[in-house]
Amino acid sequence: MATLSGAGSLPASDDVVTSCAGDREQGAEVRLQFRVADDRVVDARFQAFGCPHFLAAASWLTDRLRGAGPAQFEAWDWREAAATLEVPVAKYGRLLTLQDAVRAAARNWPGESRSTV
Amino acid sequence: MSDVIYLDNAATTPVDRRVVEAMATCLGVDGDFANPSATGHAPGRRARARVEQAREEVASLVGARPAQVIWTSGATEADNLALLGAARFYRSRGQHVVTARTEHPAVLDACRQLEREGFTVTYLVPGRDGIVQPAQVESALRPDTILVSLMHVNNEIGIVQDIGTVGRLCRARGVLFHVDAAQSAGKLPLDVERDCIDLLALTAHKVHGPKGVGALCVRLEPRIGLVPLLYGGGQERGLRSGTLPTHQIVGMGVAYRIAALEMAADSARMARLRDRLWQGLAELPGVELNGHAVQRVPGILNVAIDGVEGESLLFALPGLAVASGSACATTNAEPSYVLRALGRSDRLAQSSLRLSLGRYTTAEEIDVAIGAIQGAVRRLRAVAPRGMAT
Repeated sequence: MATLSGAGSLPASDDVVTSCAGDREQGAEVRLQFRVADDRVVDARFQAFGCPHFLAAASWLTDRLRGAGPAQFEAWDWREAAATLEVPVAKYGRLLTLQDAVRAAARNWPGESRSTV
Repeated sequence: MSDVIYLDNAATTPVDRRVVEAMATCLGVDGDFANPSATGHAPGRRARARVEQAREEVASLVGARPAQVIWTSGATEADNLALLGAARFYRSRGQHVVTARTEHPAVLDACRQLEREGFTVTYLVPGRDGIVQPAQVESALRPDTILVSLMHVNNEIGIVQDIGTVGRLCRARGVLFHVDAAQSAGKLPLDVERDCIDLLALTAHKVHGPKGVGALCVRLEPRIGLVPLLYGGGQERGLRSGTLPTHQIVGMGVAYRIAALEMAADSARMARLRDRLWQGLAELPGVELNGHAVQRVPGILNVAIDGVEGESLLFALPGLAVASGSACATTNAEPSYVLRALGRSDRLAQSSLRLSLGRYTTAEEIDVAIGAIQGAVRRLRAVAPRGMAT
């Protein structure tokens, strides 16, 4: 198994936003963490339980969202991961779990840009 | 050691070199290639003699007489001929069939066809160890029960059913008893007379013979009635029309002869390797055996591994050829109906691995497999939220 970039966790701190989504019993669960500085993501980590496509998408997402701000988080759509990683249609539902986690991170964004959604 | 360690012998086995050599003598122009039904000439009679020799070899392994053996294309066809053929023949006597929820699809789908034809089927639920108790069978019998079907060894979890007790029970009640022995023939002692088996489905490719050939062993005294599935040349006493594939039949005969000679040594060696594999995997926390701990065939180990997702586990093991607890690991990862029938959750069923050993499995391969699985499980658990400590 190749090493998954972004796997792991960040120590809890005021500038770290953590979001979770999914359910292990349903086959997909993810925990995303983003360190934010100047309203932008400067570091990202993930932990995930799921199929290879789900793990790969979570790993890809930690790279994809570096430098992103809360508006990009709120707008992020699972279809981008599906298209980029050529995820089979049968696995689309699992990518929605990732989108849920990204949107939850947007809602919990640290600092003044916190969403009211 | 090859690049990929093959631990999927319950799916199929490589053909033994001795079998390949025997089969090759039935293919070419200098060999016994002729149609074994063409006994009007010498080449045909030679081919017929090879077929009959194989019939003796197959019958001998299961305690039957050669005349009881009907060649088929494999165990699936043998199961279908047994269930559909017997049920249709004895329809006027009764329309109730008993089987188990954990049977092979070759039996379950044939039963569903019988249901479409108006039969009633009782599907027994095994215990958490996978065993169907003979008392369950007895309770399910009705005055209109004509047939009981129970596999000897389960193909997914390797547990061994008590077919002898069930067979004697059925015989005493005048109910036909069919056994799918695809996973047990050549691996465990079988005796159709001792175990009161009326219909026994066999295959070659699970015991280092060729794919595409099997047999149904049919009781002769009193003769079991069967409605054939195929019509044509009237081969096999009219029960299975079609030109006999001499090379495949000869291959099955040699594979069964070798199995008979080497069963004791092979079984003891495989049991030692299976136990070594289990001990290695059990070093990981959260690993459980699926199925009965003792009542099992030597070559199959099925384990539930908590804290990992089944498809990712397979993906992380490119050097191992193993089976997962999913019906399909690519797009529609339905959990195994056998493991679910044992009470496993969908998640644990999906995170289960079936590792099945064969004649060519080595201790070195087992050690490499243990290391690979331990490593993959630890990495996947480390990446999972609230990963289990290892």
